[in-house]
Amino acid sequence: MYSLEFTVNGQLCQVAVDLKTTLLEVLRDKLFITSPKVGCNTGDCGTCSVLMNGKLVRSCITNALSAQGKEVTTIEGLAEAGELHPLQEAFHDNYGAQCGFCTPGMILASKALLDENPKPTREEAKEALSGNLCRCTGYGKIIDSVMAAAEQMAQAKS
Amino acid sequence: MAERQFFKATDPQEACDLLAQYGGKARLLAGGTDLMVAVNQRQLSPEVLVYLGDSGLNYINSESDNLVIGAATPFTDIMGSNLVREEAPLLAEVISHIASPAIRNVGTIGGNLANGSPAADSATALLALGASLKLVSKAGDRVVAVEEFFTGPGETTLEPTELIQEVIIPKKAGEAKWAYRKLGKRKAQTLSIVSVAICCPLDGGQCQGTRIALGAVAPTPILASEASALLEGKILSEGLIDESAKAAADASNPIDDVRGSAWYRRRAIEALVRQLLAQISA
Repeated sequence: MYSLEFTVNGQLCQVAVDLKTTLLEVLRDKLFITSPKVGCNTGDCGTCSVLMNGKLVRSCITNALSAQGKEVTTIEGLAEAGELHPLQEAFHDNYGAQCGFCTPGMILASKALLDENPKPTREEAKEALSGNLCRCTGYGKIIDSVMAAAEQMAQAKS
Repeated sequence: MAERQFFKATDPQEACDLLAQYGGKARLLAGGTDLMVAVNQRQLSPEVLVYLGDSGLNYINSESDNLVIGAATPFTDIMGSNLVREEAPLLAEVISHIASPAIRNVGTIGGNLANGSPAADSATALLALGASLKLVSKAGDRVVAVEEFFTGPGETTLEPTELIQEVIIPKKAGEAKWAYRKLGKRKAQTLSIVSVAICCPLDGGQCQGTRIALGAVAPTPILASEASALLEGKILSEGLIDESAKAAADASNPIDDVRGSAWYRRRAIEALVRQLLAQISA
């Protein structure tokens, strides 16, 4: 067993992992952070997505030891002082979630996009979310939510 | 049971030493986008992992006549590099069709190649660009052309003690006309059913050293050499394009699988080569 030390949502964590442990297993089974879901477990569906050092990754196929010393953000880390992140507000207001299983991954993929490109086109938003599958919504409302959040965040800045 | 071991290589030399020490027991880990899938599906249970994420193999350099890319460079970095966009725009385009942003953020070009998939999209691009690979081991290094690297599905010429250090792309490939198309079940996050990459240097309108690469239609990614040779020294015409497209389909050796039938793949190759050559000649 190896000791993995990394930061999750601003908090330093230390857990024992083995060679085959995934970041998703660490988050869900050791730290009880259950927003990243176990969907396909092969990196295809995107519902396990988290941010690692600000970049979108699939926690289900991320070897836990490759997260050593890094900063991981899950959806639990987005709200600040009880205030929802504008993306969370926008998904709520625009009906961007139905069953909710894909939603944490969708919002984190959207955050990765807006951090790099605060004013994306609809096409760019679709491309950024292209690896996140939703079986309920048909994606329209999800893209609407991302665009609404981008606009809201731009207004808040100006 | 022997204790499992995890090593973080700080440079390629250290990784080579570990491979020499543990031989076939050791597996290299970069982004893990292939390796961890195999682990999750219980197809693989590595005893020794050598992590390459901090091994100094993440770089994109311009070296005289070549563009040189470190094997552990993630796809996102390659795709976003101005150097790559200038010197090998075909590669940037091909990478934009690989999987999805999250996979490209960690998946590396060396990992994609070493995995040896007949459908490896970066291989199709590198074949068309005339790239080669620098392989290193404790015993020394060697450079192999990408067309000599793949030996079968999931198999490459890499020795158990060797690793890919870098990808070498001749810069002159950047001046050539090129075209690419991938057919998958959906637009993103999909494996190729068929892919074609063509690099066509034109000299006064005449094809000089065209390279037509085919993905997912043979046991390895391949070059359609005859289809390319037919074009040598000639100006692309409808008849010639037709002939070349048929020769490319003949060069393929596809199988039926979950993504498509051999019948479909052969026809798709012909159609894609025709379409891409027409695009180049336009």
